Amino acid sequence: MSKISVAGVRQHCTDLLEYSTETKKRNFLETVELQIGLKNYDPQRDKRFSGTIRLPTIPRPNMSVCILGDQHDIDRAKHGGVDSMSSDDLKKLNKNKKLIKKLARKYDAFVASDTLIKQIPRLLGPGLSKAGKFPTPVSHADDLTGKLNEVKSTIKFQLKKVLCMGIAVGNVGMTSEELVANIMLAINYLVSLLKKGWQNVGSLTIKATMGPPTASSRWDNEMWRLLLAFHSYIPGA
Amino acid sequence: MVKRKVAALEKVDADLVSLQYKIRRDPKSYAQEFYDQWLSYDAQRHIFVSSPSTASTDDVKKFHDLVDIVAHVADLYPNLTAPFPDHLKDLLNQHHAVLHSELREKVVGSLCLLRRKEVIDSTSLLTTLFPILISTPSKTLRSLLYTKIISDLRESNSKATNHRLNRTIQTVLHNLVTSDRTSTKGMWATRITRELWRRQIWTDAKPCDVMKEACLSDNEKVVAGGVRFFLGGDKEREEMEDDSSDDEGIDIKRVKHQGGINKKTKKRMKQFEKAVDKVKRQERKKSAPHPLNFSALHLIHDPQGFAELLFQKHLQNTKCKFTLDNKLLILQLVTRLVGLHKLTIISLYSWFVRFLTPKQAQVTSFLGSLAQATHNLVPPDALEPLVVKIANEFVSEASAAEVAAAGINGIREIAIRQPLCMSETLLQDLVLYQRSKDKGVVMAAKGLQSLYREVYPELLQKKYRGKDATIGLRSGEVKLRKFGEEDTGGIEGIELLEQWKQEQREKKLAEQAAIEAEGGEVKKIDDDEDGFNSDEWEVGSDDSDESDNGWINVSDDEEDGEPAKKRPKQSGEMTDEDKANAIAEANRISVLATTSILTPADLAKLQELVREANIDKAMGGRTSKRKKELIARHIDEGVTAEDIELPATIGKKSTKEEREALAREGKPGRDEHKSTQAIRKSKKEAEGKSSTNKEKARKKNFMMTLGKARAKNKRSLVDTKASLKAHVAKAKQGGRRRNGVA
Repeated sequence: MSKISVAGVRQHCTDLLEYSTETKKRNFLETVELQIGLKNYDPQRDKRFSGTIRLPTIPRPNMSVCILGDQHDIDRAKHGGVDSMSSDDLKKLNKNKKLIKKLARKYDAFVASDTLIKQIPRLLGPGLSKAGKFPTPVSHADDLTGKLNEVKSTIKFQLKKVLCMGIAVGNVGMTSEELVANIMLAINYLVSLLKKGWQNVGSLTIKATMGPPTASSRWDNEMWRLLLAFHSYIPGA
Repeated sequence: MVKRKVAALEKVDADLVSLQYKIRRDPKSYAQEFYDQWLSYDAQRHIFVSSPSTASTDDVKKFHDLVDIVAHVADLYPNLTAPFPDHLKDLLNQHHAVLHSELREKVVGSLCLLRRKEVIDSTSLLTTLFPILISTPSKTLRSLLYTKIISDLRESNSKATNHRLNRTIQTVLHNLVTSDRTSTKGMWATRITRELWRRQIWTDAKPCDVMKEACLSDNEKVVAGGVRFFLGGDKEREEMEDDSSDDEGIDIKRVKHQGGINKKTKKRMKQFEKAVDKVKRQERKKSAPHPLNFSALHLIHDPQGFAELLFQKHLQNTKCKFTLDNKLLILQLVTRLVGLHKLTIISLYSWFVRFLTPKQAQVTSFLGSLAQATHNLVPPDALEPLVVKIANEFVSEASAAEVAAAGINGIREIAIRQPLCMSETLLQDLVLYQRSKDKGVVMAAKGLQSLYREVYPELLQKKYRGKDATIGLRSGEVKLRKFGEEDTGGIEGIELLEQWKQEQREKKLAEQAAIEAEGGEVKKIDDDEDGFNSDEWEVGSDDSDESDNGWINVSDDEEDGEPAKKRPKQSGEMTDEDKANAIAEANRISVLATTSILTPADLAKLQELVREANIDKAMGGRTSKRKKELIARHIDEGVTAEDIELPATIGKKSTKEEREALAREGKPGRDEHKSTQAIRKSKKEAEGKSSTNKEKARKKNFMMTLGKARAKNKRSLVDTKASLKAHVAKAKQGGRRRNGVA
């Protein structure tokens, strides 16, 4: 880890935005991803970390959310124009693994009403939690759109079987300031999660879905190799 | 007659050894001699192969020696000896059961030797040895083959990982386990895999897959081997690493010192250089990045499917006749997986019901497993009947104290992971057990109470909630996590850091204002636009003050010490006035965290502030110890039967043996009773140290010292003075050795 500066991050963000909005504009809203390579991290000894944090701006506004709810919540969802399913709809899936997998794939996140959420493991089995999309509870008192925004703007850091991660932190439709704020909060949170702070960070890269990666900090070759393997999977892109 | 024979044999033996030596020195000149030996080897082999079981001891001995010499020099005559490895392999494959044990050992050793000399490759060696390992009835041969296989795998992975070989062997092992699920042959797969995992030669997902298959075998031994691997393999690996890291420490100072006091020779110099080199290499190794060290439990592919299968096959299946111990091991693995990966196996919980009685053997293990299987995504209605059952069966006035303590503690372990599993009446009933007379029960009940004070105080009766929980409830600080709700974590303590920075800024400003009031001169404070430039930092720098955002031009009229609010405004930057406002703001989304990058110094300060805040809370009466314990208990750890039994042991008198063992623990073994001096002396001798001059003087024969002492006493005053003077003068020069003089 050599140096990382606010000005540097800002510069990279403007470069990235310029490339994706002017140099080579694509026909869809590109997502901006923060790619992280860790180093000196022993997943067994240092325990694997995971954590969620809410970003100031929604990184992916087009995220599709489904509401699993009782009648009241379904009505509210219809009012807001969000997809919804009742418990009867879920029962119709009949614990069919394929159908449940299909459902999990169809949406990026789920929200369930308080009354229904306790039955989700029984109704749907392990399908949703396997996909990492276990619903977030919402009560009748909660503001539904607020809750949806919260779900959309929350990102999750989770270490899987490799020492690199990619997280969607924004999109190219955002202003430079918003993007910088999102990225910095994500970086700061990540560093506060790590046991040895910056010493565990091997590399940080910002990348739009189809843009070139811009390094926030030094890359070393090994990380490149890992990331190349990783590029086939970009969450939410 | 007999004597002569032995002598002749010895002669032949010596002959072969010297021939081997000569061939090594000069292979070309001795090609003919070797050819003769080769022919006689071939002839012996034919005789031997025709009837291996009836061969006489002399023949066996002769053949043994010939194999030895051919193996040792085979690399020098590759053309001639090309069929030699195949001969050995055939011999071993076909006749390993009838071969004389010494000869058998020699053949295996020769094959390994050929491998070391790179005449044959690892794959062919291992594929030869492995089938024999799993089929031979001889125990000695098995253990020999096992060590050879392991050492060869280590050897071929020592310089760089030999992926190809590893893959081949792993596939062989995988096939071995999956081909015949009822046979014990799979044991070898588990043994080899476990050993290589322990030595960190295999660290990826493939060996885990082999073990996974072993767990799903039908043979009890194989299953136990696989399950044990997942439950203990990683710990074993860690211990192994610790052992190996601290064994060969070189004291460089000592080596240097010895080079200084002894005669300077080339050999000493080389030794020193070697030691320095080794230390350097070790240092480099220490600072090298950790190998990817994922635990086996994390590397399992499709944990949900595996856990389900394991549960159905070995636990739910009533036809499964494994022993209770092995079933408990399997149960531990299943529950561990469920807890670690947050799996959903609803039927597991109902299965538990019939085992939760005090009469059940090893019931604490069951309780521990149940707690392990609990996580925040387990539906509370699946757990509630279990908790109720535990309470009914274990916890009553009539039940023994240990039983009640174990029951309450088991419930607490479940509740730590899923607080929603409890009903109000049950909890209130259980908490009342803190009035019990038994210390263990009291501890367990209090533990439950303090847990609920932290996570769900509404469930407790008002008088049991305690001060902090009551205050927290009123202020809305203590909030129950709903089912399925995840913590939205922020950066812990960021508001404290922000507040601290604000204070620092104010302090600086006040100082500045004071200076200005005195001198009346306007001075610019380190203003760097938006603080961007000074935000560049390097690891290890601790100049956190410099990374503060810039402040410009403090005006004169601020003697009252009020903070100035002239800051370069910028979108996203707050115009905070009072701290409370800042905190409220920071709680939502921290401005500091979104506009600057936390430096290592910032992070250190953050930790310090968080620690301080926690101490403050602890001083305010909060049970921080309990909380720390909760935090320390990570899901990765799992729950053991000891955890459940712990409170029951509190307040119990231990037996004399236990106390003695406790006292002896951690102390060095002491064989015989000796004086400290004697122990010290023997230790010194063992280290190879010589005696000091003082010691020598003390030990010197009295009669030898007598003359000098007498002469000293008889000296005249002038002589005494002269010698004293000379002594002082010499000491000033640094003595005879002139110590400290350039």
